[in-house]
Amino acid sequence: MNGYHGQLLVVHLTTGQITTRALDPALLLDYLGGSALSAALLYPSLTRDLDPLGPDNPLLILGGPLTGLSGPAEGRFTVCAKSPATGLWGEANCGGFFGPELRFAGYDGLLVTGRASSPVYLWIRDDHAELRPADHLWGQADTYQTQEKLRAEVGEKLARVLCIGLAGERLIPFSLLLCDHGRVAGRTGMGAVMGSKNLKGIAVRGAQKIPLAREAEFSRLRSAANLALRNETVTTALRETGSAGGAEYFDFMGEMPKRYFTSGVFEGAGKVSGAVMNETILTGVSTCHACVVACGRVVTLPGERPGKGPEYETMVGFGPQLLVDDLAAITRLGRLCDAYGLDSISMSGVVGLAYLLYAEGRLSASEAGGPLNWGDPTGAERLIHLTVRRGGLGEILAQGARALGRHFGAEELAVQVNGLEVPYHDPRAASGMSLVYATSPRGACHNQSDYFLLDILRDAREETGITLHDRFDGPEKAASVARHQDWRTVHNALVHCFFAAAPPQMILDLVNTATGFDYSLTGLFRAGERAWNLKRAINHRLGLTRANDQLPKLLLQPYADGGAAGFAPDLPAMLSAYYAARGWDEATGQPTRETLQRLGLAAVADDLWT
Amino acid sequence: MPIPFPSHEWVKAFQDRLNNSAAYADVAKNWESDVLFHIEYPDGSIQLLYMDLWHGQCRDAHQVPLEGRDKKAAFRLTAPLANFVKILKGELEAMQAMMTGKLKVQGNMVVMLKNIPTVLEFVRVAQQVETDFPK
Repeated sequence: MNGYHGQLLVVHLTTGQITTRALDPALLLDYLGGSALSAALLYPSLTRDLDPLGPDNPLLILGGPLTGLSGPAEGRFTVCAKSPATGLWGEANCGGFFGPELRFAGYDGLLVTGRASSPVYLWIRDDHAELRPADHLWGQADTYQTQEKLRAEVGEKLARVLCIGLAGERLIPFSLLLCDHGRVAGRTGMGAVMGSKNLKGIAVRGAQKIPLAREAEFSRLRSAANLALRNETVTTALRETGSAGGAEYFDFMGEMPKRYFTSGVFEGAGKVSGAVMNETILTGVSTCHACVVACGRVVTLPGERPGKGPEYETMVGFGPQLLVDDLAAITRLGRLCDAYGLDSISMSGVVGLAYLLYAEGRLSASEAGGPLNWGDPTGAERLIHLTVRRGGLGEILAQGARALGRHFGAEELAVQVNGLEVPYHDPRAASGMSLVYATSPRGACHNQSDYFLLDILRDAREETGITLHDRFDGPEKAASVARHQDWRTVHNALVHCFFAAAPPQMILDLVNTATGFDYSLTGLFRAGERAWNLKRAINHRLGLTRANDQLPKLLLQPYADGGAAGFAPDLPAMLSAYYAARGWDEATGQPTRETLQRLGLAAVADDLWT
Repeated sequence: MPIPFPSHEWVKAFQDRLNNSAAYADVAKNWESDVLFHIEYPDGSIQLLYMDLWHGQCRDAHQVPLEGRDKKAAFRLTAPLANFVKILKGELEAMQAMMTGKLKVQGNMVVMLKNIPTVLEFVRVAQQVETDFPK
């Protein structure tokens, strides 16, 4: 089986048994890997009555057929399970070196089931895997210290460690898994799922070769693809300014939200960006496995050691969203989230809502442990600590923005979709994101489709068939959004970083030479569409209805000022066009039987429609 | 009377427009970089236009003779002639062009990103030059 080892490592925490499971070649062909293959593998287990934090919720960590092969930005992996944040499909995507190392150990992925009776960690060294006690790590260390301790305990300086922090231990539904220099599987609370299993971390080291169908040809293509990627303008911009490099332009276009989605302008926005970081505190860059982009930021604050700098989402969430213009303070808030193992998008979303509730007089200083004044980052730091302690207001904060809004009688102010806090690309400036957020299988998410880049930059590769539209267009762009989602689902199957702007034909050639498959570009899109529909079907089984395809009230109110003033998306009209483009039933929002059958999902159609 | 683009006469007319634009003078008051426009023709030939931009004024502007093709500037902006024409006609937005590689930037991208209003006002003034576009 080329491109794969053809097996998962399976860890039964309740019994302590560790086995392997062969992967079905037909599933690999249809779903490739990553979150697409995860959906196919987890489909039978994900039921409506399954407790996301119970022992029966399977946690699946998967790479793709290119993971670890040193191709263009192919160091990523996915973590999937039923989400404690949404009760729906859970999926998080992570860079770094852990995913490749797991493949080097001889496994395409790791399936974790059950619950250990006391905290443990997993040590994998090629074909040797064992569970070890982790009581001494539980409640003790932050995620960076945990990595160091695990590496020391297993005696492998180069072991790669994926772990949870206090947030995961305390089952906070927006807790994450972290590896390496702050690379995170951030969204949908996969850290809490791992914490519910009493699994503190996973250390892995391996030296197995990944078999390739046409090795020499793959090697030549890989070099060409990396060279092409290195010469892309977007690569240069990401290397120089990180993911926050687009901040100025997004701000100019009104696409960067401010003051918890209620203002189109913020005078201090120009002080917090990748460009400003470059000129002030940036002292280095960091990469994922074999990546030529190097978007990771290494910054040094006065009197401190070098550490991770904020990427775009963290920077906006703790910056303009709180009217904070202090890059050092934002950096510290991001690092605090990482140390605790909190998703900084969700955490900053919760904090932003708290600031808004305070500004509106719904939340008092005494409840919040002090004032929450716009522009003051100290309130945010206090709320993060409160959240992880889960005491007083912290217990409400720890349940996410939807619960916080509900607690104060203002659920409509919580900017979330299906329980997942909205990232910082505003659909009022890039209307495609209204469909992306409303229909994403994991709640509001920009990593199921970064359509905002098409809306803002008006650029798409012709061979993908993805059409361009004005950024304020409505239903006419629905089919284009659907096609872009399919393409990004392919990325999430491979698992290929969105930042790698490699030409589609290069990606296709790499897949075929690695695996021996005979995919066409059309076939890849079909695989993406299949996985997208499968995730949708999973969500319907888990209780999703058409009413879940919505946007929060604040995102449907036009800004009074800024680069996108006066516009709000017409979501109902866009959704109708989207259902038609997708072949989904207008009344229920479900993929029709015909659509599922067309995609080779007849059994799923039977489950959904009988 | 329309002035052919690209040409020495055109870049001088553009310089004149810039130096009479209060809006540009204001928004570009902190800009301190010269720019070389590297225009690629379909037959493989090139043309270079140089502009020295300093604190909201254009101190120098001229067509660079071919023997000066290695001339240094803080920024070299390279694109096919067709993309320059699209930008001047308002069919392609300059920042979009830079961020998507339709207009390749050699120079400090950080400066560009921090001066988006300057870039866009610069282009807006260029679009005011009465231009005779190549057929």
